[in-house]
Amino acid sequence: MDLSSINTGSIDIDHIERRDRQLWWIAVLVILVLTVTLIVTHAPGLVGATKGLSTQVKTYSVGLFLLVVLFCFYVLQSSSTFRKLRGQLLETEQDLIFTTHSKSYVDNILRSMGDSLIVVNPDGTIRTANDRTFQLLGYTPSELIGQPARRIFAEQEEEFFKGLGFSSLDPKGFIRSVEKQFLTKDGTRIPVSLSGSVMSNDDGNIQGIVCVIRDISERKRTRDLLERYAKELARSNAELEQFAWVASHDLQEPLRMVASYTQLLAKRYKGKLDSDADEFIAYAVGGATRMRRLINDLLEYSRVGTRGKDFEPTDCETVLEGTLADLQTLIEDSGAVVTRDPLPTLMADATQLGQLFQNLIANATKFRSSETLKVHVGAERKNGAWLFSVRDNGIGIEPEYWQRIFVVFQRVHGGEDFPGTGIGLAICKKIVERHSGRIWVESQPGDGATFYFTIPISGDESPCVLT
Amino acid sequence: MRTHLKARPVEILLVEDNPGDVRLILEAMKEGKMHNNVSVAVDGVEAMAFLHREDGHAEAPRPDIIFLDLNLPRKDGRTVLAEIKQDPQLRRIPVVILTTSKADEDVLRSYDLHANAYITKPGDLEQFIKVVQSVEDFWVQIVKLPME
Repeated sequence: MDLSSINTGSIDIDHIERRDRQLWWIAVLVILVLTVTLIVTHAPGLVGATKGLSTQVKTYSVGLFLLVVLFCFYVLQSSSTFRKLRGQLLETEQDLIFTTHSKSYVDNILRSMGDSLIVVNPDGTIRTANDRTFQLLGYTPSELIGQPARRIFAEQEEEFFKGLGFSSLDPKGFIRSVEKQFLTKDGTRIPVSLSGSVMSNDDGNIQGIVCVIRDISERKRTRDLLERYAKELARSNAELEQFAWVASHDLQEPLRMVASYTQLLAKRYKGKLDSDADEFIAYAVGGATRMRRLINDLLEYSRVGTRGKDFEPTDCETVLEGTLADLQTLIEDSGAVVTRDPLPTLMADATQLGQLFQNLIANATKFRSSETLKVHVGAERKNGAWLFSVRDNGIGIEPEYWQRIFVVFQRVHGGEDFPGTGIGLAICKKIVERHSGRIWVESQPGDGATFYFTIPISGDESPCVLT
Repeated sequence: MRTHLKARPVEILLVEDNPGDVRLILEAMKEGKMHNNVSVAVDGVEAMAFLHREDGHAEAPRPDIIFLDLNLPRKDGRTVLAEIKQDPQLRRIPVVILTTSKADEDVLRSYDLHANAYITKPGDLEQFIKVVQSVEDFWVQIVKLPME
């Protein structure tokens, strides 16, 4: 029965009300007339003309009066019944209006919604489907309603509900965002995401499953593209790592030859050839030595990626203690005082963390001022990450160099004043980035430097593969 | 009791394919006070022939110590090591691996094959000389070598 065709005008409530009111007036009028008649016929001496009326007429008139009174009571009751009926009809009318509006409202929702909605019967056949469903699949309603639901999915499982993930039809059962493939009428496959809930009526009987199915072609395309790029990037990085390692490794031998023999020359023939020869040999030796160091450092830099280990719970206190032990001679020679805050335990590569601390603290000893060197290692929890700091009271770094120092082989103080190739901080940066963190420096010349680095706490706790 | 007098020169077998390294080692040894007689084999096959006194090496002296590089042509150093240490006639001779490789696998494998020591060639000349000297001092002066 199509509710929208009910015309509430066919039950004319106003008409009934009018009749109801009319009856009231008639009743009142009749009672009035009769009361007058009664008084006239029975009241002694009221109207002389009626004296002659016989007793029979009087009795009939009383009887008639009683009948009329009864009739009035009946009318009264009908009226109240009418009133109740009217009340009920009004309610029903309201309900009908509301239901009709709700129904067409809901129909509108189903018709307008951008996703496919399907209700599947407990026997696995399609009971209802919205416009979008037919649109997506290319079927007409008659071709789909009543058909087994598994026909519209590319994976033709026997047990439709099991295929969706319902182990049993539990009244509270639901599945979320299951990825499947729609099979359209012309055989095209559309990647979709399906969520479904079991529908049951008030008595707890399962009526079926209502599924909302979203076309995720675009999303899937983007995701696949992203995956491809990520793989490509990781592969490219691995290749670069390998290249750096092989290059450095294979360069070692010829370099060793050059370095060793120039040194041997210097040793064997110093003072025995002319002073020019001594000078030339010295430059050659210097060059070879520097080259060896650079290549070793480059190897170490590339090893951050190639020899990095998986993250494990790491106690930073233990790591720092190990580092300080390794640097003991350096610290003693520089007379440095190292202090620290309590350090946390977090997911990291312990070896690399040690390298990180070592490079930063060694730098502090290298770039110290004339004051007694004080180094403080701090840690605080901030914005879902641990913020570490290594603060010193050394010579400091001008702001214009704050970025450059993290670049491979970039040095602020060149030459012999401060030994080193300038790879230490680049290695620190690589290590921090492998841990998905950030590293930076804040400093003023003459006022020491503080190196900050973050290590995120939550989220993906595996090494960043893009470094 | 017969004292350990080194009246005769120390016989050293150096198995090394890189002529630059050969010369370096020889120069390094010259720096020492030891009286050495160094024989050189440039690949694994020649090394074994020398040790077995075959193929033109009939008069080869028995080495007191062997310096062995791992990466050799024809027969690899690792194979040579294995063969030496499996041979009852040769396994008492101390074998010192002297190689460019720092790889853990190489270190482990060498010790598994009963190398007596594993040394990575230093890049610095002075270091190199020091290392070669130390090996000589240790294995010849300090350590008791089996009498043959």
